[in-house]
Amino acid sequence: MSRTSKSNESGRATFGRTLLICGVLLLLLAIVFVLASLLGSQRLPLTSSLCALAGGSNCGLSSEQQAILFDLRLPRILLAGAVGMCLASAGAGYQALLRNPLAEPYLLGISNGAAVGTMIALVFFGAHEWSRPVMAFAGALLATLVVYQLARGRTGATPERLILAGVIVTTFLSSAIVFITTLMDATRIRSFTFWLLGDLSGTTTSLLAIALIAAGVGVGILAMNARSLNLMMLGERDAFDLGVEVGRVRLTVFIAASLLVGASVASSGSVGYVGLVVPHLVRLSLGSDNRVVIVASALAGAAFVIVADTIARTIIAPRELPVGAITALIGAPLFIYLLKRG
Amino acid sequence: MLEAKNITVNYGARAAVVDVSLRAEPGELIAIIGPNGAGKSTLLRALNSSVRTTRGEVLLDGRPLESYARRAVARRIAVVAQEAELRFPVTVMEFVLGGRYAWSSAWGWETERDVELARGVLRETELEDFETRLMNELSGGERQRAVVARALATDAKVFLLDEPTANLDLAHQATMLRLVRGRCDDRESAAVVVTHDVNLAAEFADQVMLLKDGREIAFGPPPQVFTPELLRKVFDLEVLVDAHPVTGAPRITPVHVISGKL
Repeated sequence: MSRTSKSNESGRATFGRTLLICGVLLLLLAIVFVLASLLGSQRLPLTSSLCALAGGSNCGLSSEQQAILFDLRLPRILLAGAVGMCLASAGAGYQALLRNPLAEPYLLGISNGAAVGTMIALVFFGAHEWSRPVMAFAGALLATLVVYQLARGRTGATPERLILAGVIVTTFLSSAIVFITTLMDATRIRSFTFWLLGDLSGTTTSLLAIALIAAGVGVGILAMNARSLNLMMLGERDAFDLGVEVGRVRLTVFIAASLLVGASVASSGSVGYVGLVVPHLVRLSLGSDNRVVIVASALAGAAFVIVADTIARTIIAPRELPVGAITALIGAPLFIYLLKRG
Repeated sequence: MLEAKNITVNYGARAAVVDVSLRAEPGELIAIIGPNGAGKSTLLRALNSSVRTTRGEVLLDGRPLESYARRAVARRIAVVAQEAELRFPVTVMEFVLGGRYAWSSAWGWETERDVELARGVLRETELEDFETRLMNELSGGERQRAVVARALATDAKVFLLDEPTANLDLAHQATMLRLVRGRCDDRESAAVVVTHDVNLAAEFADQVMLLKDGREIAFGPPPQVFTPELLRKVFDLEVLVDAHPVTGAPRITPVHVISGKL
């Protein structure tokens, strides 16, 4: 990156460098956004679509193409972007807080917690759509606190212990999900199975709006705690000695990350491995400073899920795969690699 | 400056520190010496309120430590703890800049001055060529120096050091204590150092506290405290005490008894 300033030959994160990184990633995100809106079972022409996306009328799109672009693809791409932002930044937050590069909302069972919350809302308060993200948030927060307590133990959270705690919480909550599924009528079960794997096709405008707002708020809160997380990442006791209000930061990050995961799961189910793959690649290329990692993960995560979803809806078109299947295909091998490398 | 008044720390039913008082004045270096499990580290952590005292209180500039905000304490008291595990790759510079956290906003960026200060302490600890190296790629001794550098970067008035020389070679042991000694002499700082190295303590400390089973056995200048009688009482070990031929400080040599014979 920038080597103009003599005082920053080390590639240390600074405000200017972070802005530059964000600019580059925003550009990348814009390109991915446009490409994804063109691709699909029906290809749309580039210039006309760009013109329409920019708000022009009479761009030469047929009314059918208009409908495909604005009613089908745009909401879905926006949702993919919001989900990617939520999950990738939440992953970066959990990793710093739990001092473990393998911490990820899906693998820790936190997405499952949010899924159980969403399903309870569907079964008991089905009429109130807003109850889904609220219950998903509650479920995610509860799962987070349980995993944290289980992983902590007397000797602190080792990576192995954390993953085991995640497995236990995941399997327990999976049973709960199966149990709730049996309470539903048979016609809805298939769409649920899809949703559980992470599916961006079945959302509503209000859930999309909630996901976008949660992404903004959650990423903002995490970014504001990024400098504290830099120290907590190296050990809570050291962080405390250096002046970090460890308990307050931990609670804030837990709440923000649960908000992110909850909003994402309520709108699109459990998309796995995004929170693992994206922060890992970001740290690999940009370093470990959370003031960069969190914001860059949010932007790169949005691009990643948009790409994954574009693959999911084009690879066997006109049929679709759940986006979670694509992210897991990419993420699981990386997880194994990271685990092997220790 | 920093004063502990009759503090007791209990871990469950076990008392780790019993009724210990300690007062660190500006310019003073105090060494805490004692066998393993004597409560040295606990006492040190209580001085920073990272371990809660069961009885007694710790005063910083006359005010109870609990009445300060966490950041305010961190600007005045720096800690060098025994080594922590590093799971994320951070550079030495990033690590040392952590010492500047308490001086600016919690979500901000380091200033040019912070970076200059960090460069300064890296020079002092002979790590100036390691700025961009990753912490987890350093040797144990280099990493320990980076930890001390971070503590120095805080610009604190009180330094609490838990075995800061444990991983260091002979030359760097002395360098490290000379640095801390220098802060005490030049900047009116105070330091409390837990160490197993009685001879380094004898050379660098103004006061020595002997601790055993959480209780103070003796407190005073090295020549008063490092006597064969007191050391036998604390360590159950025969020692020879004479004067260091160059510095004149007490020199302690253990006399190991092997199979019952001298």
